Amino acid sequence: MSEGHLSLFYRELEAGRLTGSKCKACGEVFVPSRPLCSRCGGETETISLKGEGTVESFTVIHVPPVFLKDASPYILALVRLEEGALVMGRLIGYDPNKPEEVEIGVKVKFEALKEKHGEKEEAIVAFKP
Amino acid sequence: MLAEGVYIVGAGMTAFSAKLHANKTGRELLVEASQEAVKSVDKGIMLHKDVEALFIGYFTPEYYEHQSHIGPLAATWLGLTPKPAFRTEIACASSSAALFAGVTAVASGLYDVVLVAGVEKMTSLETERVTEALALASDDLSESKVGATFPGLYALLAQAYFRRYGVTWEQLQRVPIKNHYNGSLNPKAHFQQTIGQIAEKVGKKLGVQYKDELDFLKNSPFNRVVAYPLRLFDCCPISDGAAVAILASGRAARRFTDTPLRLLGVGLGTDNVALQDRADLTSLVATRNAAEAAYRTAGISPKDLDVVEVHDCFTIAEWLAVEDLGLVGRGEAPRAYEEGLTGIEGEIPVNTDGGLKAKGHPVGATGIGMLNEVWHQLRGTAGRRQIKNKAEIGLVHNVGGSGASAAVFIFGR
Repeated sequence: MSEGHLSLFYRELEAGRLTGSKCKACGEVFVPSRPLCSRCGGETETISLKGEGTVESFTVIHVPPVFLKDASPYILALVRLEEGALVMGRLIGYDPNKPEEVEIGVKVKFEALKEKHGEKEEAIVAFKP
Repeated sequence: MLAEGVYIVGAGMTAFSAKLHANKTGRELLVEASQEAVKSVDKGIMLHKDVEALFIGYFTPEYYEHQSHIGPLAATWLGLTPKPAFRTEIACASSSAALFAGVTAVASGLYDVVLVAGVEKMTSLETERVTEALALASDDLSESKVGATFPGLYALLAQAYFRRYGVTWEQLQRVPIKNHYNGSLNPKAHFQQTIGQIAEKVGKKLGVQYKDELDFLKNSPFNRVVAYPLRLFDCCPISDGAAVAILASGRAARRFTDTPLRLLGVGLGTDNVALQDRADLTSLVATRNAAEAAYRTAGISPKDLDVVEVHDCFTIAEWLAVEDLGLVGRGEAPRAYEEGLTGIEGEIPVNTDGGLKAKGHPVGATGIGMLNEVWHQLRGTAGRRQIKNKAEIGLVHNVGGSGASAAVFIFGR
């Protein structure tokens, strides 16, 4: 039995590593890893990502989903990795009540954030300055 | 290209509301909207005798009503069994998928008369559960799990837009101010008060006087932040409602009316569900592709439009829509709104019914709800919100989720 791309992605994430897929045909990089390129349909190879990038957009969630009731407010960001992929993650290291202090374009680094989701603890993609 | 002509011979909808339908189910809302559609057919129609198939958009009945298999259920409640019936789903554009199914069924020559509808009975759940239901339209793994909500996704688009074009949240407030004004003219709208009227009411309660509508939106604690920079009045409400349209082929249409609307153009668009897989955060590619296809099939350009319904689930979505539909150029929405281009009396009225913001957004009903507005504007029955210029061509633009699905339909008299 071979492992699915997402199973691998989340197993790596739990271990603190960020993986993606690079298209063998067009070179586009995606996170999470996936079997086919979402741009051209080409076959991909799994790559490890350095986890360095810049914030392209961010928001502060004040009305969260039920499972994150106790975590709000929190900051979400879309980060452009050096390898080219855009990734959504939690932005930590800023005060969510001072969004004016977050700058689009700021350099950030990946971190796997362990968070309680109901009964279980899960790793999610996060970034910090 | 449409092989055969497709005509709209009737349209109806319930009011969109969070209160009016508290004691009704989705199936009953469908019946109510259908009865109004029947009444709108100039020469009369008997659904049971005339309708050959039905297509129903409903985003998440499993969540709201513990119910799937909506097509046959609707057939039962409309007295249409054993006509072919199924449900369509592309999130907030689910009834546009039903309309598309109806259009292709008639254009192919397979059926002469079909009923298309949309419904969402949302207020059966608490707001936080509704938020969860809506989040099903985003990428569960890459977005919801990280903590994204729908307002959050559009907030990310808004921030990227603000940054790219150097505009502010204050400028964006022309969208809800316009749409609430339009809603105040629409007896079926969820909110029928202008923001000025709401400001006065809230001000009285708090013992504050607001200078103007923007002052209220900016400084009232009532307009709390939902997902920075978007606040409560940047978001559409949670509504119950249903909307119906009756489609007919060219050979059948004249049996029902001498003044049907004709479908001129149609286009669908798809993009990656997750924002992180998108090529551009300041535009919805699905809308651009759907619009391009719709204009091409209709053989018209945006300049030919008289009235436009766009998907303003959040304020920023209306700006993206008017740009992606080509009503104005990229980055030009802020100025167009400053100049009042899209007001009821403007050059190209947008969301004369109040839009999703004021009319309401019972998700699955929205697309055909928009068609109802174009039906009235083109037939001159829009009442106090009837546009002043002659309405010959109208466009409906409906988006699924944060922009992974889009549908555009163009109708003429």
